[in-house]
Amino acid sequence: MARVTKEDKNGKWPSDLVLDLYRNLLIEIWDDVSALIGEAILELLFTLAIRKLREKYPFLVFVKVSEEGISLSGMREEWRNLSPLEIHRGFQSLINHLSHLFSVLAEGVINKELFPKVFPKFREAERIVSQK
Amino acid sequence: MRLIFKNLNILRSIINAISKSSEIKEIVESAGAHLPNLFDFSSFGVLWKEGLLLYIYQDESCPPSFSQDMAKNMARVFSVLGEEPVEADQLTLEVGKRNFRPKQMVIDPNATLKSHLTLPLAAEGEVIGCTSLTSDQPNAFDAQDLQFFSVIGYQMATTLKQFERFSSIKTMAIYDTLTSLHNRGSFEERLGIEAQKSFYGGTPLSLVMIDVDHFKNINDTFGHLEGDRVLCEIASLLKGSVRKKDTVARYGGEEFVLILPGAGLGESAMIAERIRHLIESTPIRIGQGEINLTVSLGISNFPIHRPNSKEELVKMADQALYEAKEGGRNRVFIFRPGHA
Repeated sequence: MARVTKEDKNGKWPSDLVLDLYRNLLIEIWDDVSALIGEAILELLFTLAIRKLREKYPFLVFVKVSEEGISLSGMREEWRNLSPLEIHRGFQSLINHLSHLFSVLAEGVINKELFPKVFPKFREAERIVSQK
Repeated sequence: MRLIFKNLNILRSIINAISKSSEIKEIVESAGAHLPNLFDFSSFGVLWKEGLLLYIYQDESCPPSFSQDMAKNMARVFSVLGEEPVEADQLTLEVGKRNFRPKQMVIDPNATLKSHLTLPLAAEGEVIGCTSLTSDQPNAFDAQDLQFFSVIGYQMATTLKQFERFSSIKTMAIYDTLTSLHNRGSFEERLGIEAQKSFYGGTPLSLVMIDVDHFKNINDTFGHLEGDRVLCEIASLLKGSVRKKDTVARYGGEEFVLILPGAGLGESAMIAERIRHLIESTPIRIGQGEINLTVSLGISNFPIHRPNSKEELVKMADQALYEAKEGGRNRVFIFRPGHA
């Protein structure tokens, strides 16, 4: 089960909007993919992906993953200092790397389920970022 | 609905078979025997990090090149997931062939791997291997196959982790943690087995007790860590000086013991003398320099010394060692009845 702490929705900064969008997308990915490959393997793949990208996007270390799900709670203040574009690029890279791992393991079986959900969200994030 | 129940029952049987397995080969065999009821596949494999073993269970009609394709693919996936890259030629392959495909579905001799599902075997956040289902047909697997296979993979990971734990407990129970030689307990057990064989079968059995001369001076002068290193070097020299069927054990402190099954007095004296000479002539690194150490050795033998028990055989070798020490050290002494 994915788990997210409720956060204050009043301050709709672009960074918040991008963050909310990706948080929901990651939860959706977690729910869909864990049903296919199980929580333990998915946790491992998230950990590998974050480890791979943490040098380029250090803020990704605040994405907490466990067999219970994903949590980005309490990180809003930390992330507000980042530009929406950087948040978008960081999360986009994370999801792209996860897709790569999914395809290494199961060719198109997982990505076939995922792509229709992911691409519209990428486009929406790009729209928010370009409005700034 | 009926199909789902049928599949769940098969899945339950597979999980049950895996959890009851006592070695990796058994996991592959027992899971492999049930898998054709659940999936359409050509080959199934389990790669275990320990020893880089790859067990493959495949249809009789799979060409050898298919196993190679599979090894390459699993090495590639494992390299992406694991901490160190692995090449296919580093893997030790064991291939079991079975007839599980109907005759009309035999695999073309030129078939190549066209699709796969490969999952990491992850336990406690560690990747201990991976498992794979492969096919000579493109897009052979779907989301439901992946769901079922992930449940099987999870059970495999849990069982393999238990094997790892059991194997390390077994290692600790048998081997001396410093020198990796057999420990005292394991020595007693092995001597019991060998003595029984010899006493009842009438075959010779020799025991050689070895003590490092003036070892206390090394600990006092260079410290216990250097002393430990010296013991490891001597252990390695001993291991390299005996036959495959012999047992080398650390008896305690700086004392070692050899069990030489089938060795008469002449042969065991030759082995002991070879060890004495080897240690005397091998410089051992210590501190900033090197030293040459010596050892004293005592030999006892069945049937020559007529021991009535294994304990008596040990006592006789110990007595001979005492005499080697008393005689000036750096020498081999054979037990002599009446010398105390």
